[in-house]
Amino acid sequence: MAWEIQSGEYELGAHRTLLQEFWRNFRRNKLSLIGGFIVLFYAFLAIFAPLLAPYDPIEQYDAPRGMRNPMPPLSRDVDGRLFLLGTDKFGRDILSRAIYGTRTLLQVAVGSISIAMLLGVTMGAIAGYRAGTWVDELLMRAVDIMLSFPSLVLAIALVGAFGIGKIQIGPFTLSNIVKIMLVIAITYSPRFARVMRAVVLQEMGKDYVAAAKISGASSARILLAEIFPNTIPPIIVQASLMMATTVLTTSSLSFLGLGLQPPRPSLGLMLNEARDYLFWGAWWYVMVPGGLITLAILGFNLLGDGLRDALDPRQARRRG
Amino acid sequence: MIVYLLKRLILAIPTLLIASFLIFSLVHIAPGDPIRVMLGQYQDPELIARLREAMGLDLPFHVQYLRWLGKVLQGDLGLSITVKRGASVAGLIAQRFSVTVELATFSLIIALLIAIPTGVISALRQNRLSDHISRIIALAGVSIPNFFLGILLILFVGVYLRQPWGAGGYVPFSRGLGRNLAHMFLPAVALGTAYAAIIMRMMRSAMLDAMSQDFVRTARAMGIAPGDIVRRDIVKNALIPVVTVIGNSIGYLLGGSIVTETVFRLPGVGNLVIMGVFRRDFPVIQAVVLIIVVVRIIINLVVDLTYGFLDPRIRYGGER
Repeated sequence: MAWEIQSGEYELGAHRTLLQEFWRNFRRNKLSLIGGFIVLFYAFLAIFAPLLAPYDPIEQYDAPRGMRNPMPPLSRDVDGRLFLLGTDKFGRDILSRAIYGTRTLLQVAVGSISIAMLLGVTMGAIAGYRAGTWVDELLMRAVDIMLSFPSLVLAIALVGAFGIGKIQIGPFTLSNIVKIMLVIAITYSPRFARVMRAVVLQEMGKDYVAAAKISGASSARILLAEIFPNTIPPIIVQASLMMATTVLTTSSLSFLGLGLQPPRPSLGLMLNEARDYLFWGAWWYVMVPGGLITLAILGFNLLGDGLRDALDPRQARRRG
Repeated sequence: MIVYLLKRLILAIPTLLIASFLIFSLVHIAPGDPIRVMLGQYQDPELIARLREAMGLDLPFHVQYLRWLGKVLQGDLGLSITVKRGASVAGLIAQRFSVTVELATFSLIIALLIAIPTGVISALRQNRLSDHISRIIALAGVSIPNFFLGILLILFVGVYLRQPWGAGGYVPFSRGLGRNLAHMFLPAVALGTAYAAIIMRMMRSAMLDAMSQDFVRTARAMGIAPGDIVRRDIVKNALIPVVTVIGNSIGYLLGGSIVTETVFRLPGVGNLVIMGVFRRDFPVIQAVVLIIVVVRIIINLVVDLTYGFLDPRIRYGGER
């Protein structure tokens, strides 16, 4: 994500020195670089999943005589196919399922964060620009109420309302994956709204906004062309921090059986299935999906912290 | 103090009302007729008509809400439809409430016992080995999902070490407090770890903040024993932001308990809501979500009130 900001802002030209400073700060923190590499690794896995996965993730293979699925790492099936990370209870390749599961997880996380950002930023921008009016009051009340729900509880309640699996709204059918993205986006949009409102309020007090107003620019123009570009960095920091939370919520929902549905490969669901084989000692069934989820959350946490500290070095020094 | 308490209680009422309205509306955002959805394949027209009348679905929306709210205020949470046909939801929750409360309380205690001392030591020994180690563990703690940690604990304690209390499941108080607590220990660790990590990080940075304040320098210059400065000045001042984090993150504990109950097969409220979502039992979903939100709002209120005990500078009813 750091690279996105860079290329985006280089086009503006004027902020170059600020950006160079940002990059210097970011690079200095080794942990955030590690976070960046982890995130890149996941992006790589997700993008090239079809090339990286050795087998079809939903194809079932038979265990050879004397063995039963799930089979441990480095086992072979009846036809001699090698399974590097073993098989699951239906004889599907865990490595391929993990790679595709990672892809789905990132799809859902990126999709829902994008929708949440769109919703939240719009709400926050309007509330901030019209601060003190009834519009602001109404929007922020709504945000407060939504934040009074623990996020996972709100997500579960929304799934409860919509139902599990794909849903039919009038003539439209919403696929399960899009529905989950919407559920998570609704859950997390208030946080973006809060950040956006605060940033817009802060920017509104600055001279350049006053200058734009005096020169007769319309509200929409001031908000979109003048204020908006300055709100991008804090929103991106928020988004990268929220990615970790979203990965956790998405995989929690799938683990509970309320998220992605079989046979689609999903890391959370794999862990749920693996529970039944714990007493067989099927550690690989647990470690592969669990490890992948944990590493993803770690990577996004490190990257998010790094971005935040690089944009606000004074705070960072205090945090140590 | 009492005036402030009353003021806060009164301010919580609109939030609760709107939250309850949202929770009630959940049923109605569900696409399709809730009764047909709930009954699934049992589409008996007579039963549909009876349920519709019993639930008052033939009445206008606001009348339905007010009727529901009136009953809820009298402790009547409606009847379960599919989880346990005809059973009182309040009764179902009452049976399970103690399990969830025990889990959350136990987790909170474990989290505080780990987090506060570690945070203090980490800050006092900033950038030494013990600080680095505890910070890395904290980072891992916030990144590992509680369901994965729970499964790992079952795998190691229950499967590899063959401890009966490590295999999940619930033992009621009536069969001995010791066995009850032993079975609750791993779930509480799984749920409390991330919470401990969040609190520890806050404790550390709040300590560092307090340590750099002028009053600490003054106290040092006055020759007060370092131990006394830490206890009386630094820790006490650092606890204020930590209490805020404890309160704000309580939602994590409530949402996380749903997941933890699933991992360890505990018959708590979270387990009930998941069954409710699977079987589309709307009264059950509404009731559990409502209770969680009410509990959260009450806890936040209590947390706010503890500031006064920690920091005499905050005078309730005065400036605020």
